[in-house]
Amino acid sequence: MSDSLIELRGISKFYGNIIALTGVSTTVNPGEVTCVLGDNGAGKSTFIKILAGVHQHDEGQLLLEGEEVTFSSPRAALAAGIATVYQDLAMVPLMSVWRNFFLGAEPTRGFGPFRQIDIEKAKQIAKEQLAEMGIDIRDTEQPVGTLSGGERQSVAIARASYFGARVLILDEPTSALGVKQSGVVLRRIVEARDRGLAVIFITHNPNHAYPVGDRFVILNRGHSMGNFAKQDISQAELTQMMAGGAELEALQHELATH
Amino acid sequence: MAAFTAGGADERLAYRGPIQQLLTRPEIGALLGLAGVWLLFWLTSEAFGTAGGTANFLDVAALLGIMAVPVALLMIGGEFDLSSGAMTGATAIFVILMSREVGELGGAGFSLHLAVPLSLCFALAIGWFNGTLVERTSLPSFIVTLGTFFILIGAKLGFGKLFTNKVIVEGLDEAQGYAFWDDIFGAEWIRNQHIWDGRDWAWAGLLVLAGVALLLGLLEMSYTRRPDPPSWASPGAFAGAVATPLFGFVMLLTTDGSASNWLWGAVITVGTLAGVAIWCSARYEPVQRHRGALDSRSLRMIGIGIGAVVVAVVLALVMDATNSDQLGFLGGGLGRVIFAIGIAATGVLAALAATGHVRSSAPVIGVIVALLPAISFMMTIQAARALLFGGLAVAGVVALMLVTARADLSLWLPMATAAIVAVAAFVVQAESASRKLRVELFSVLLLIALALAATAVARALAQRRTTAVPVPQMGMWPRVALTAGGAAAVVFAVIELIDGDGLLYALSTGAAKGGAIALGIFAVGTFYRLLFSSDEGMGRPLVTVGLTAAGLALAVKLMFITTLEEEATQAVTRFRVSVLFYLLFAAAGAWVLAKTRFGSWTFAVGGNKDAARSVGVPAARTKTTLFMLVSVCAWVAGMLIAFRLNSVQANVGDGNEFRYIIVAVVGGNLLTGGYGSAIGAGIGALIWGMISQGIGFARWNTDWRFLVLGGLLVVAVIVNNYVRQRAERSQSARGDPDDEDADGPDPPVPAESADDAAPVGGES
Repeated sequence: MSDSLIELRGISKFYGNIIALTGVSTTVNPGEVTCVLGDNGAGKSTFIKILAGVHQHDEGQLLLEGEEVTFSSPRAALAAGIATVYQDLAMVPLMSVWRNFFLGAEPTRGFGPFRQIDIEKAKQIAKEQLAEMGIDIRDTEQPVGTLSGGERQSVAIARASYFGARVLILDEPTSALGVKQSGVVLRRIVEARDRGLAVIFITHNPNHAYPVGDRFVILNRGHSMGNFAKQDISQAELTQMMAGGAELEALQHELATH
Repeated sequence: MAAFTAGGADERLAYRGPIQQLLTRPEIGALLGLAGVWLLFWLTSEAFGTAGGTANFLDVAALLGIMAVPVALLMIGGEFDLSSGAMTGATAIFVILMSREVGELGGAGFSLHLAVPLSLCFALAIGWFNGTLVERTSLPSFIVTLGTFFILIGAKLGFGKLFTNKVIVEGLDEAQGYAFWDDIFGAEWIRNQHIWDGRDWAWAGLLVLAGVALLLGLLEMSYTRRPDPPSWASPGAFAGAVATPLFGFVMLLTTDGSASNWLWGAVITVGTLAGVAIWCSARYEPVQRHRGALDSRSLRMIGIGIGAVVVAVVLALVMDATNSDQLGFLGGGLGRVIFAIGIAATGVLAALAATGHVRSSAPVIGVIVALLPAISFMMTIQAARALLFGGLAVAGVVALMLVTARADLSLWLPMATAAIVAVAAFVVQAESASRKLRVELFSVLLLIALALAATAVARALAQRRTTAVPVPQMGMWPRVALTAGGAAAVVFAVIELIDGDGLLYALSTGAAKGGAIALGIFAVGTFYRLLFSSDEGMGRPLVTVGLTAAGLALAVKLMFITTLEEEATQAVTRFRVSVLFYLLFAAAGAWVLAKTRFGSWTFAVGGNKDAARSVGVPAARTKTTLFMLVSVCAWVAGMLIAFRLNSVQANVGDGNEFRYIIVAVVGGNLLTGGYGSAIGAGIGALIWGMISQGIGFARWNTDWRFLVLGGLLVVAVIVNNYVRQRAERSQSARGDPDDEDADGPDPPVPAESADDAAPVGGES
């Protein structure tokens, strides 16, 4: 399995006496979508933050192309080609689309104290990249706050893939979106996968995960409920496991008797 | 997918004209306020508009602006620094304490060559301390810098008394190396020593250049170019348009008789309008006329507009600059009764508003009534008339222009407006008692009339632009201008240095002369490309040339004196070096915000810090740098204070931090961070300086100074807020209407409980 891009072996994370995550294992391969499913409080965010370098794991091994690594900062993870698109999209709503697109990695010209952003180039690249993703932004000067939720997700994904991401982590990209917009974002995920990116798709909605996923990690209360390839699990089973199986049946029973 | 035009312009975007673009800038509110305040005091006071008056309010504005610009940057970055005011005094005291001779209780006795850099390090250390503490503890910067504020106040008094036994530390001028540093921080430009008899020609010439460039620039930006203009047309029209008024203008300047004034005035008017007409018909697509109808609302607005202008002119006639009596009709018992009624009405209306019986803005009426006695005692009769005149005149012209734009009345209404303004100008000139109104207001009104008429002619002939202006292709001109200007700057600076003038004087003289040369070359290049190339993007360079020339004209007028003036005056006008620092810092701040990575990061950490950090922006470093930027500027301000007075009181600068913040807010900076402008903060400082000095100039009762400042600041902030909301609405109106959740950001999603327990800080 050393040819996996990322491999997790028994990763655990504690915050003081709170066990946020224990014994999570999975593999992430290029051209595949790995879905991480779980209800609120299941440890999905902790999982992302370990991969993105925001937090560091306390137990287990994180292997990048077979070598054990720990990402000490978001910058380190980014340098390794792991880009994260957070739930809040890591965008600054009052800033323009192109400034957001290049934030933290602005192309510059000039030298020394006169180094300045190459604004024309930045605008043009932003526009081209977005068009390639099928998003046609009218004016890259318009503030990101004026874009729709789906458009903002798409901008974030386009940005991540432009900056040489090999692994794209998407944190609940569809949770705040309507049905149509969710479809748009799911299509972006498939497009990114087809271009050879490894996508980690975090969601609590198995209906969104199952159609696009190749591999499913199910988390519940910080524990891993298993790591399945698509052929090993059906959508119904996925939903069942995610909600904690027996609990859901009990609930159904309880509701039916009323 | 699609073909892209350079600069990311999109054909589906409706092109907004230059005026509309200007209206969406964050500093527009401050800019309008600046114009209004200046106009008010200019009309009210004889001295305010002179070089002496300008030096006076610039001095106040400069010390404020030097700090307001970095404070605005810090605010955009989402933080405050309450220690910034105390810091200015602290660095001043520090440098004196370090450099004073060692007596029984004296200072350290260092040379200033050591003490000044040392005080910079001291300032940097405070900034670093503030920034790091805010970052490490994640406490609000309000609390942290409030602590620093008190520490600095205590240290200033404590150390001052410990070393000198006084609350005032003095004796900077006895320190070693004083002359060198005084050349930099204590430098002054004494206007009376710089006599230049050609000044008025230079000033007039620059103004003509500015006028021509601005007019042509606005035309270029507003109208669509013909695909196949006749090759002679542009140069020919240009030559005609410039030559006729220029000839008239020169004749006007050289002849004194009032009869020929009329003649040359007519020549200028006809020449300009004919030139604009030829230029527009030769160069731009002819207009597709669709005549709008005059509904009753438009008619009413025309009536209101004309009425306002007429009343304004009548008011101008009775204005007399020497009239300085207070209005004062509401003193004593009557005033007290009105005050009481106002307060009572405010309270009752507020209670009614709180219970939902009247509109929430109703209590304002009570406040205004309560303030009436104050206003009557504060203002002179002259000021009241000036306020009314300015307000009515502007309102009248704006109303007429609005009708024109709405009803699409192509020619006659704007022409009529221009004619009304011109008639007003002549009435004012013929009837007014004060020289200022007779000459200066007259010329200004005539110029406005001319500009209105020119716009009307252009609108009647040319087709409005619907696509964005492309990026100008200036070829080698900017580079040539910069190289020649830079080389000239070095040469002039070296010459001045050899002459033995101070370092700062040499540098600024060199920069000014080099800049003038660069502007000259750039202007030649711009006009050349305008006339002889098919480049459509010349509007922006033209406006740049126009604004620079106007600024230069102003500087020439302010900085030099003619022999005649020199003989007539006893007052000495000095511009302090602080003005130079102020302009420099405002320009640098604007450049950093708009063009550099650091500027982008500043907006980002203020707008959404976590987002910025997660895409790799060094948020902690950015914020700490911003705090240190504030402290560096506080150091500059402190040095300016110290070298001006040579002695510093322990409480100097305390309390100014709120002024910096207020000024930044007036300039269009958002208190919550993420939005704003450095230039705006600079303009805010200018407004503050004008108001605080103008009240004295206008001979208003200065007891009421803070009431005026407070009131005008509230108004400025409200106007600002309104303008920004309008701007944001016009931007979001361009969002896609068929996206179901296009309105606003996503609702916040509750975070997962376990992850919320994550320790704060430590990374990045």
